[in-house]
Amino acid sequence: MDISGQYLVTLVLNGLLIGLIYALMALGLTLIFSVLGIVSFAHGEFYMLGGYVVYFALERFTNLSPIVAILLAGIIPFLVGIIFERLFLQPMARGEIERPGEYAILVTFGLSFFLQYLMAGIVGPFPKKADRFFDLPTFDLGWIKATASTLTIGGIPFSASRLTAGLIAMILIGAMILFIKRSWTGKALQAVSQDREAAAVTGINPLNMNTLAFGLGAMLAGLSGATLVDVFAWVPWVGVQASSKSFVIIVLGGMGSMPGALLGGLIIGIVESLGAGLFPDPGRALAYKDAFGLLIFAAVLLLKPTGLFGREL
Amino acid sequence: MKQKLLPWLLGVGLLVLALAAPLLLQNQQYWLFIATQAYFWAMLAASWALLAGYAGQFSFGHIAFMAIAAYASGIVGRDLGWSPLSGIIFGVLLSGFVGLVIGWLCLRLRRTYLALFTIAFAEIFRLMVNAELDMTGGPMGLYMDPLLNTTSYIPYYYIMLALLLASLGFMYWLANSHFGLFFRSIREDEEAAAAMGVHVVRYKIMAFVVTSMIAGLAGAVDHHFIGFIAPTELIIGRMSLVIAMAVIGGIESLLGAALGAILIHFALEWLQEIPVPAGLMPNLIALAPTLEKFGLGVGDRGLVTNAWRMVGFGILLMLTLRFWRNGLIHPLIERMFRAEARKETVAKRMQAVQTQEQEEVES
Repeated sequence: MDISGQYLVTLVLNGLLIGLIYALMALGLTLIFSVLGIVSFAHGEFYMLGGYVVYFALERFTNLSPIVAILLAGIIPFLVGIIFERLFLQPMARGEIERPGEYAILVTFGLSFFLQYLMAGIVGPFPKKADRFFDLPTFDLGWIKATASTLTIGGIPFSASRLTAGLIAMILIGAMILFIKRSWTGKALQAVSQDREAAAVTGINPLNMNTLAFGLGAMLAGLSGATLVDVFAWVPWVGVQASSKSFVIIVLGGMGSMPGALLGGLIIGIVESLGAGLFPDPGRALAYKDAFGLLIFAAVLLLKPTGLFGREL
Repeated sequence: MKQKLLPWLLGVGLLVLALAAPLLLQNQQYWLFIATQAYFWAMLAASWALLAGYAGQFSFGHIAFMAIAAYASGIVGRDLGWSPLSGIIFGVLLSGFVGLVIGWLCLRLRRTYLALFTIAFAEIFRLMVNAELDMTGGPMGLYMDPLLNTTSYIPYYYIMLALLLASLGFMYWLANSHFGLFFRSIREDEEAAAAMGVHVVRYKIMAFVVTSMIAGLAGAVDHHFIGFIAPTELIIGRMSLVIAMAVIGGIESLLGAALGAILIHFALEWLQEIPVPAGLMPNLIALAPTLEKFGLGVGDRGLVTNAWRMVGFGILLMLTLRFWRNGLIHPLIERMFRAEARKETVAKRMQAVQTQEQEEVES
């Protein structure tokens, strides 16, 4: 196989684009972990849910702007998330559950089981794929040119769907960081994640912050699914791969760390893209694409479980 | 011991029923097949209950261990011409060895981290099986030689039943010996257990090895019966099923988990098509277009539930976790044995009170 510099750059940039969406999703998971102290094993199912919301909204209302559909795909997982948190996770935070660590793993796993089959019941097992959200204007300026589906810069092609997804993810990540860093509620979330008792003393209700964090985390997963439903074919099991990627990222970045989730997302995006593109046997490359991230994951867990930016355990 | 007659009678009754099932189901090969599969799931659920419920190691790799033995046995049978029996022995030993490695790697990992690591392990294994076409047949699956030279299900039924009973007996002995105490002490508090002199490393690894071998045994034998294995069996949904069975049966009870698995497996099969009285069938057929919109269907005998049966099951799983920590079946078993014990205690106390009163009267 001939590996040119341009090919490498193409791989890295495409990996970065997907990495942005991974980062958005992992941001949700890390937010849940930092406030509630649990890993949601249903994170991928919110991603799956978000994708289906966009698909069905656009199918039902053909004139609907994809932006509105994507926002809707944030709201519905948010609502599902807060209802679930109130019903099943709140008792844990109130100390009504024996062995909360095990309970959290199993009950979120139960939610993922429920949501997967619920969607399988509603939509059936056949894959769905939304049409491209936005067409690019067609132009040709020599080194930069575009068709409806592809933008080519200096000979490096980018798919329009992935560009849109990456752009939306960037905006949402920015908005989320602003919200966490600047708004009162965001600061309250940070406070609860640092010290629950101290936060309660200053008048923040930690239980409400738990609910909010879980809802926001679910929302971010839903939004990242929403941006990708025109890139990948959607089945009720699409969330399994996505959630295992989020696990990889938050462990790599350090559980509960926001910069870790962002950097981890980009790293995993690039590693997967390079791994699949450079694997010596192209027949197996695609099958092994997801394994590269998982290998990193296993290595980080075994060698440095706190990840890049994690707190000490 | 006379007072415990009822639960023992029930137990013996169930056993007799299980032993006589092939006679009762002579004309219903299908249900005999389902029963055999139910025992396969029961072995998985019970061994997972030992690993997770007793030893506190929440592993999501149990299905992978099951498949390692099945694939290993199938591959040595195809490429090296080994007999199914030697293949099964090899597969079970390999499962145990991989369990040893995974258990050793997981020594530092607790709860969530362990769950994440074992999910990664199971997924990597699934991806490998999918990718290594020459060895595993990839998505096309792998055909396996039949264990016995017969087309009847009856011998297989008895083999799986015997394996289930033997593995339950072994695990029951293990859980109630000092090993079981060590397992539970590790689950409750690893540092405290270590401080009390429990060899944490040894028993954690041992829990992994033993349960992996039982899962592998179930997997290898069962797939020599079915004659085929494919990577679709390795999806995380199958692992969820094992977990759900163990949780609903009772995660801290081997018998509860096994009975839970058997009941749930039968329930899921039965719910595939819920029979409807023949008189109501025309009404149901008239409703078919509406039902199909909601992912339901109408079959020859009744309502086809497709994925919806699993939805109800998912709700049951979450509710069980939330409200019945010991599962739904384990408390029933407990109550049957305890009810008698309670009567005994009450009777003893009454007697004590009476003698006390008598003494007071006498003095």
